[in-house]
Amino acid sequence: MRGSRGLRALPWVVLGLAVALYVGWAASSSSGLYARALTPHRMLVLAAVLKLVYLLAAAAWAFQCRDRLEAGNPARLAWFLLSLGLLATFVGQLSLAPLQLVRNVTPFPSVADIYYLLSYPLFIAAFLVLLKAYRETGFPIGSAAERVGIVTGVGVVAAIVAAPILGPVVTTDTPLLERILTVAYPILDLVLLLPLALLLRVALRLRGSHAGEVWLLLLGGFVFLCAGDIAFAYFQSLGQQHLDPFVHATYVLSYGLIAGGAHRQLELLKP
Amino acid sequence: MITTEAVEAMVKVIAPYIGDVMARSAIEAHCQKLGIVGGTATHEQVEALLGKLGGGLNVFLGRDKAASVIAEARGALATVEGSR
Repeated sequence: MRGSRGLRALPWVVLGLAVALYVGWAASSSSGLYARALTPHRMLVLAAVLKLVYLLAAAAWAFQCRDRLEAGNPARLAWFLLSLGLLATFVGQLSLAPLQLVRNVTPFPSVADIYYLLSYPLFIAAFLVLLKAYRETGFPIGSAAERVGIVTGVGVVAAIVAAPILGPVVTTDTPLLERILTVAYPILDLVLLLPLALLLRVALRLRGSHAGEVWLLLLGGFVFLCAGDIAFAYFQSLGQQHLDPFVHATYVLSYGLIAGGAHRQLELLKP
Repeated sequence: MITTEAVEAMVKVIAPYIGDVMARSAIEAHCQKLGIVGGTATHEQVEALLGKLGGGLNVFLGRDKAASVIAEARGALATVEGSR
């Protein structure tokens, strides 16, 4: 019993250690550990491998969730769209991997951005389908006025937070495509945050349950994805690449949480 | 069947899957829609309520598991009814 509990905790311990490693790298990159053993190239390789593993696992588990739900179940389409979005992100990450592993560079913009951009409408559509499913099956997701209030509130707060961050990004003298992409990610994240906020309201009502655990992990993962994109845009435009370890930590945590949520949902669907 | 007893029995079975708060608010919302407003509910009303809850649980648990949870709730209701 104790062994099985320990085994279940292992992936979370690995995720926690990985995140701590990248936060440590950002905080003390000149220390002996990072100067000699965990060199920037090794850390880049490790980040690439972790992201690929988590994304592939998340996409596969989300697809299996779709498979386990019977035809006609309103959540089936949502899990399919989620798996496609995660797969698109995985392919984007995979296209970067050879350059990161061999040449120790992460080009931006690159072909990976096509796949990353493609993932957003899939994620947004997945969340909207789920919200519709919850509403149709009679679960209380708030009155129309309440939902409009939440969406408006989150939109206003997001705009207030994003404006000063995106301001310097827009005015930099980097190539136009780079600037467009750097701004596009945070804007897509802000759009993603709107259905996420509504789902968070549902998730809060699910607290303390198996379904609540699924949504806590998934929504936490997507919130960190948004945070990673905004941090990436800010550091990239200001030339603060030495803060990239924070971005790696955020993405690794995001993908790990999403994979954990998809796995938990799959367990929940098992008879 | 006394409505409050039926609700408590259903919440006890469903709460581990969707949480106490969601279970109660979903049951209350369905009760209102089904016109279960008094102190007692008929067998037909309770069955209709279980059907609605099963449809909702499908989204989280899939059809088969939702059906087994509803069967468990039905058993809990029978126990409550039998103990009176």
